[in-house]
Amino acid sequence: MRLIRVNMQQGKALSEPVPPVYEKLGGRALIAKLLLEEIPPASDALGPNNKLIFCPGLLGGASVAAGGRLSVGGKSPLTGGVKEANAGGTAGDALGKLGIKAVVVENQPEAGRFYLLHIHGEIADLLPADDLRGFGTYAVSEKLQERFGKSSTIISIGQAGEQLLLGACIACTGEADQRSNLAARGGLGAVMGSKGLKAVVIEKPTGGGMQPANKELLRSTAQAFAQKLINDPKLGTQGTQHLYGTASIVGAVNEIGSLPTRNFSTGNFEGAGDLRGEHMRETILARGGKVGTRCMPGCTIACRNLYVDEKGKAIVGTLQYETISLMGSNLGLANLDDVALLNYMCNDFGLDTIETGAALGVLIEAGLASFGDAKGITALLRQVGEGTPLGKLIGSGAVTCGKVFGIRHVPAALGQAMPGYDPRSLKGNGVTYATSPQGADHTAGNAFGARAQVNPLATEGQKELSLKLQIIAAMLDSTGLCLFARPPVIAEPQLMANMINGIYGWNWTVEDLDHFYRDVLRNELEFNRRAGITQADYRIPEYMREEPLAPHQATFDIPDAVLDSVFDTL
Amino acid sequence: MELFGQLATDGIKKQTLEVPEGCTAGEAAEKLNLDTNLVGLVTIDGVQLTMSARLTPGCRLCFFPPMSGG
Repeated sequence: MRLIRVNMQQGKALSEPVPPVYEKLGGRALIAKLLLEEIPPASDALGPNNKLIFCPGLLGGASVAAGGRLSVGGKSPLTGGVKEANAGGTAGDALGKLGIKAVVVENQPEAGRFYLLHIHGEIADLLPADDLRGFGTYAVSEKLQERFGKSSTIISIGQAGEQLLLGACIACTGEADQRSNLAARGGLGAVMGSKGLKAVVIEKPTGGGMQPANKELLRSTAQAFAQKLINDPKLGTQGTQHLYGTASIVGAVNEIGSLPTRNFSTGNFEGAGDLRGEHMRETILARGGKVGTRCMPGCTIACRNLYVDEKGKAIVGTLQYETISLMGSNLGLANLDDVALLNYMCNDFGLDTIETGAALGVLIEAGLASFGDAKGITALLRQVGEGTPLGKLIGSGAVTCGKVFGIRHVPAALGQAMPGYDPRSLKGNGVTYATSPQGADHTAGNAFGARAQVNPLATEGQKELSLKLQIIAAMLDSTGLCLFARPPVIAEPQLMANMINGIYGWNWTVEDLDHFYRDVLRNELEFNRRAGITQADYRIPEYMREEPLAPHQATFDIPDAVLDSVFDTL
Repeated sequence: MELFGQLATDGIKKQTLEVPEGCTAGEAAEKLNLDTNLVGLVTIDGVQLTMSARLTPGCRLCFFPPMSGG
């Protein structure tokens, strides 16, 4: 395997052998280690000393079902700490097959210049890309696929990343109509913009791809793993993920009173029925759209969709739970057509829909629009693409919007907006939001899936649950496995050990894996500590401890001392 | 009573159920001919409970298929 270092100041991209310290790492694990090794923790996240890392997980390129996620990382300009954001699509698989451990983008070019990185076979070139400035990610990916081939994977930023907005994300193309797979959280799109990097083009690998150390072990284990996914009632062709995507949980999260509604002011939305996965599926099918599509090659779950308008014209691929909640119920919108349009706009501008949905909720509370006013909300969002001062504010996330307008109700932790579960009614998620080194991130440890084991409204058991889930998340993010594919490897950790040993021949045991996952969190916590993040920063907003959330009149009442002790047994 | 996701078969999604006093969620599921192996979440008045939980008059009972968040 090799590392590609891209020096934006010199305009060069060079391959080098993988340094031994990174050899047995991938995805989030690699990013955490590289941050500690190479990035001064106190550096300006949008300055020359931060680095932007693209890497597959350890399973990338090995033809493991749902194992091709792309990790993107660096120091986050939003949280001030470590950030790993991962995306579906075809990039992770392509980099793995090319034998690329990571692409590390360093320094900055002359101010105002943009480039694209072209990876083809053994070669990586930096090419001028000023002609792509000002275009959204959809146009960029279309233009670059016309130029470099329809089978090329395109990673890009839109106008938000060019403007260095804190809510900016990075888009990646995927299978068929899944053109927007987003490394969404934490403002990494702004880091990419600060490097003057508009896009990365990865030509589809030709040739044999990676050569596993033990082909038969990999083949048999990957096959068994894929079969377990197919047989799982949640994940097979009759499972909720395939039938409805993540929108399958809208009804349930609303029922348990955790659905962010009108800037997280209540946990039930009267319009939730029209946002549910069942209604979405019926609508899509009636209009000639698609459900049950995949973003990654070889995925057996296929949870994506292509949401279309009344005439069957594509609005967005894909409409999923987080956007439906943060840009639907959170904004008082009960019409999926409105949410789909907002989703498309965010994808095109290259904006995190969670951060932007939360920001818009704060701004509506500040009086800039009304809850439920789709036209007014859409007009606000449009300003991001137009680059107006208000647009820059909207694209800078919930905390900045709250500060500028003096709004106390800002649903964020460690500077990052909360995803689609109000922590007052799903307290395990509150512990994750508050304590994860990634900030408020449901994929860092989502307690919704463990609701049968720990009562969402109770204070007991949440700390232990969050730690367990955070370790699992570290596993997923470092191996590149989609989090929906986790049940078999949680039930049988030896499956993961066998797949990794089959690829690399490291003879890892299940205990080695557990140590590996915990090291990810240790490294991230250490980087954050060195970056100046203290215990006092790992908190839930004060108002969520004081203001009860209907329907259960619950507050977040897990003591700070408990939050401080989550990692005592790490 | 409301059924969600693929549990809502044959057009039965939402209805008022007449059950004897002290009936449990599991007994209500039986009355609906619901395969409880296909139920991933049970709520009564928005609170997650188990199949052995007893219903109260006028309560809202919901059955969901197995699902996990993103």
